[in-house]
Amino acid sequence: MAAANPVRRSFALPKLEAAGARFEALGDFQIAVSYRNAADEMATAKRMGLADLSPLPRVGFKGAGTCNWLQSRRLKIPEAPNRAAPQTDGALALRLAREELLLLGGLAEGAPDPGDLCNRWQVARTKPRGYPLPRQETHAWFLVSGEAADSMLAKLCGVDLRPAKFANLTVAQTSLARVNGVICRQDLGATLVYHLLADSASACYLWDCLLDAMTEFQGGPVGLTAVRALPAT
Amino acid sequence: MAKQATASGGANRMTAPAGVWVDRDKPVSFSFEGKRYKGLAGDSLASALAANDVWLLSRSFKYHRPRGVLTMAGQDANTLIQLPGEPNVPADRLAIREGLAAWGQNYKGSLEKDRNGFLNCFGAFMPVGFYYRSFNKPRFDRYWEPTIRRMAGLGKIDLGAGQGYFDKAYLFYDLVVIGGGAAGLSAAITAAKASAEVLLIEENPALGGALAYARFDAEGMAGERRRQELIAAAEAEPNLTVMTDALCNGWFADHYVPVIKGDRLYKVRAKQLILAQGSIEQPAQFRNNDLPGVMLGSAAQRLIRLYGVRPGKTAVVLAGNDHAYGVALDLNDAGADVSAIVELREDAGSGPLAAAAQDRGIAVMAGHCVQEAVPARGGKHLGAVRVSRIDGPGIFDPGSVGIDCDLLAMSVGYTPTYQLALQSGGKLSYDDRAAHFTIAQLPSGLQLAGSLNSTYDLSAAEAEGAHTAWRAATALGLEAGAEPAVPEDRGAAGVNHPWPIFQHRRGKDFVDFDEDLQVQDIQNAVAEGYNELELVKRFSTVGMGPSQGRHSALATARLVAKATGRTVAETGVTTARPPFSAETLGVLGGRIFEPERFTPMHHKHKASGAVMMTAGLWWRPAYYGGKAKREESIAAEVRNVRNNVGLIDVSTLGGLEVRGPDAAEFMNRLYTFTYKKQPVNRSRYLLMTNEQGVVIDDGVACRFDADHYYVTATTGGVDRVYRQMLWWNTQWCLDLDVANVTAAYAGVNIAGPKSRQVLERLESDVDFSAEAFPYMRLRSGYLAGIPARFLRVGFVGELGYEIHVPASYGESLWTLLLEAGKAEGIRPFGVEAQRVLRLEKGHIIIGQDTDGMTTPDEVGMAWAVSAKKPFFVGKRSIELRRRNPSKRQLVGFTLPLDGPLPLESNILLDDAGEMAGFVTSAARSEVCDAAIGLAYAPAATKPGEELTIKYSDGRLLQAAASAPHFYDPGNKRQEG
Repeated sequence: MAAANPVRRSFALPKLEAAGARFEALGDFQIAVSYRNAADEMATAKRMGLADLSPLPRVGFKGAGTCNWLQSRRLKIPEAPNRAAPQTDGALALRLAREELLLLGGLAEGAPDPGDLCNRWQVARTKPRGYPLPRQETHAWFLVSGEAADSMLAKLCGVDLRPAKFANLTVAQTSLARVNGVICRQDLGATLVYHLLADSASACYLWDCLLDAMTEFQGGPVGLTAVRALPAT
Repeated sequence: MAKQATASGGANRMTAPAGVWVDRDKPVSFSFEGKRYKGLAGDSLASALAANDVWLLSRSFKYHRPRGVLTMAGQDANTLIQLPGEPNVPADRLAIREGLAAWGQNYKGSLEKDRNGFLNCFGAFMPVGFYYRSFNKPRFDRYWEPTIRRMAGLGKIDLGAGQGYFDKAYLFYDLVVIGGGAAGLSAAITAAKASAEVLLIEENPALGGALAYARFDAEGMAGERRRQELIAAAEAEPNLTVMTDALCNGWFADHYVPVIKGDRLYKVRAKQLILAQGSIEQPAQFRNNDLPGVMLGSAAQRLIRLYGVRPGKTAVVLAGNDHAYGVALDLNDAGADVSAIVELREDAGSGPLAAAAQDRGIAVMAGHCVQEAVPARGGKHLGAVRVSRIDGPGIFDPGSVGIDCDLLAMSVGYTPTYQLALQSGGKLSYDDRAAHFTIAQLPSGLQLAGSLNSTYDLSAAEAEGAHTAWRAATALGLEAGAEPAVPEDRGAAGVNHPWPIFQHRRGKDFVDFDEDLQVQDIQNAVAEGYNELELVKRFSTVGMGPSQGRHSALATARLVAKATGRTVAETGVTTARPPFSAETLGVLGGRIFEPERFTPMHHKHKASGAVMMTAGLWWRPAYYGGKAKREESIAAEVRNVRNNVGLIDVSTLGGLEVRGPDAAEFMNRLYTFTYKKQPVNRSRYLLMTNEQGVVIDDGVACRFDADHYYVTATTGGVDRVYRQMLWWNTQWCLDLDVANVTAAYAGVNIAGPKSRQVLERLESDVDFSAEAFPYMRLRSGYLAGIPARFLRVGFVGELGYEIHVPASYGESLWTLLLEAGKAEGIRPFGVEAQRVLRLEKGHIIIGQDTDGMTTPDEVGMAWAVSAKKPFFVGKRSIELRRRNPSKRQLVGFTLPLDGPLPLESNILLDDAGEMAGFVTSAARSEVCDAAIGLAYAPAATKPGEELTIKYSDGRLLQAAASAPHFYDPGNKRQEG
């Protein structure tokens, strides 16, 4: 019998390769860390950048008992639906409904995997405690950064995402270029940042739509390295 | 009339400060009708041509009459010209650019010498209602339509034009002000000062509206001075965004307004809306009122003040209000010889402008009208006007005096730019005393300001703008200070002359320039019995041209009112609907978002030479190999599954997790079969019916735990099934959760007699042997390190396993299986081969072998319908329908392998030649040595009976009915 070392693929991988991404291993995944020299990429990230964070861990829970059980796991639950709450370990909890949460793993190197909660859920006896959702697989995760990010997204999305109207750590569940998606604003340092989570099967389509919309803003793809450097800017 | 242009941008170009929109330091070369000209940056094509003394811009729609500048506001059809690839572009709105090449429209030969110009003499043979009477006759198609298409019409569409880049964007504002004139600027500035986020939309290249071109004082500088002050004030407001060259083209509920700027459509959401779009000056009606050289007073002023172009050398001004005197003064300042002001009123104007004109010695002929414009030699421009004494409303003395002139400027009244206001639900009334339209009953959050609201006085318009802004800001909950004063005198008195219509016995007194409709045409329409305005419009086509009645609605309403003995208020105007102005299909289409879904193995399929096909939003491999070898490729793929092993990507299949204590009860209610006693780690066929008992989906229920079902659904049906699940459980309130995990799993079906051997080559904690993993069983485990769900199912009728893995592992799984199966001759197969395989097996495809009426009984699925369950969705309907058994059933049929293959939807005929059913699927089957298919046939059809299928070319094919299971009816292969 043949053993293998399976590789997991980002849903937008063909697009990243075509854009000239340089990859590094991240668990079973390969993640795009950069596309060009660091200075250019940092400038792009601050002006208008698009990063594929799909290889980073994430998980969802929904159903009766979700919030109580996650609180018992020391998770900070956002006070209301469509709000997000940063966690002490760098993760971000997005509350999508009264009893539905989406947990995004931290961006920093070595951040804990919120998917581990699934293992705890399996062995837990508490009832009800909601049900885990495979958000790592159902949703691609893109990050859009830069001062004109809201103007660019206004070309794809009917929600008013202007910083003055869409506060930091606010969540919108909406349509992006006719694909259902979740948008969460989480500024990194002084840079305006939106997380976009949308149907993983539509990742390549959405990647193209975003890059097309970014053209007038001189936007482009950026890698994880630039994203990780944003909080310090 | 064309002259060589001068370096200053044309022979009629005035010196500064005239021409606030043009840049005298930037000459621009362009061509019209093949001749080269020079204009200035900031010129419109019409103004640049006028500067070069070119006034003929187009030919009229019906009579091919010469037409030129009328409004200089982009509101009329006279100036529509042809660009390469784009017809019907308003020349008075189109900014010239270096190298621009434009042509006139609607002529045969040349614009100057239109061979269809003779039609001008045949008006008597084209009476009003000609289209209405002719278009419904059989002869129309044969004769009139091609004739009319040749001789009438507007520009030419470039059928070879490529797709341009257009896009859309959303905008959100507290207040949107439409119209950047005095009232709009005042409103926008006031609201911005109160901290409202304001968007000011102006359709012209610069703000100012009438401030930029009209004359408000004898000196003639007040408007421009005030314009500069207001623009400076607007620029100082950080909350105020100005969008020029932007057209708001409609109003939709909740103040949702589409705004076109360039190639982008902005979808603007406004909490409050102020319309300040001004008013539209109206022409007078007299013979030859359409001649080039006859234009609105405001058009002459726009030429002078916006573009620095003298509109004529010798001018006559037709006055119905005091604004005409401002026009006369402007013309005088521009160096034109103003021969006379023909004053429709008995008394000359009494305001400061009239006094200034009289001070300059300009003759005023009070109580007179222009009864006819006389063409100059050549017939393409004004040469003189015939002026007569007015004897009564619309009646003039037959005697007349002629005045030579090359310009007649008309200032007789206005209509409000009411289109958006009426679209929002506003009601139009007519003030008989002031002879103008008014608008009322506007929706909440929408206000009017300025001349749109019959406020013509400059300071009153600004005050009204400020007041509407205060109300808007207050409604927004902002601190806006004390309420500003509402202007008492709005300057509306005497602005509109009540009857500037002077019908001529020889006609050509045009009401609608777009459609070449004369006064008599409107009267005749009423005489024909079309006495309601909407009927007059449909019969005569008045208001149906490109300018949409902007210059004909008032005159038509007055004429219909007079002819029917009603007031204008009672007559009204026709319904206003979006769009306000012409818009390109490209703008409407915008950036085309057409979502596509790709499986994790998509690019592997492409690399393997797959020909892809769509399934809903998904792309799936149809078959592998070039299109030229389609049939051979499909046949080879089928053969390989039957003899060796094939691999198909089934990631597009729907996947739904149903979890919770009531999951089994839920499944039992939702699907026709029984699921409560379904053992864990077993799968069971699913059939879903709707409340009418119609089959709407199928799939497999995989019970992985007592309270956990993993449910598959068809690719095209999963979203509907998911909605059904949510809908029903909202009513049933069972304790469970439903999640759509379709995209979360990549799926493959490895099928064929050697499929087990391939799997056993890979490391796994699952025993794939027949004994350990029988048919319709499930397993969870790992395959080559990949977490997976394994389903033993048999859609294609061979030993097979569906393997579902997290989507991010999909490509690895695909690669590993193809690598592992090399020795067994594994090869991928596509949807087309799968269709043949499943047809051989007699498995139906929902949506292809079912329609909107299909019951489980009709497709031989009675076995999947539980008779014991007290309830499932559709149960009651199925039982009711069984009382009147269906007259049709899905049967198999066979035909010779090498004969014609029926197409889906080919019909079955009975002995009388009537339709008796139809084909749903057909394919050539090597393994069956026949062409096989499924068809709806009469219920009594027995295997072996002859079925007559009408082939697409009319041939009748004699097929033999059979059971629908053509291959391995005992299921030994798939269950082995």
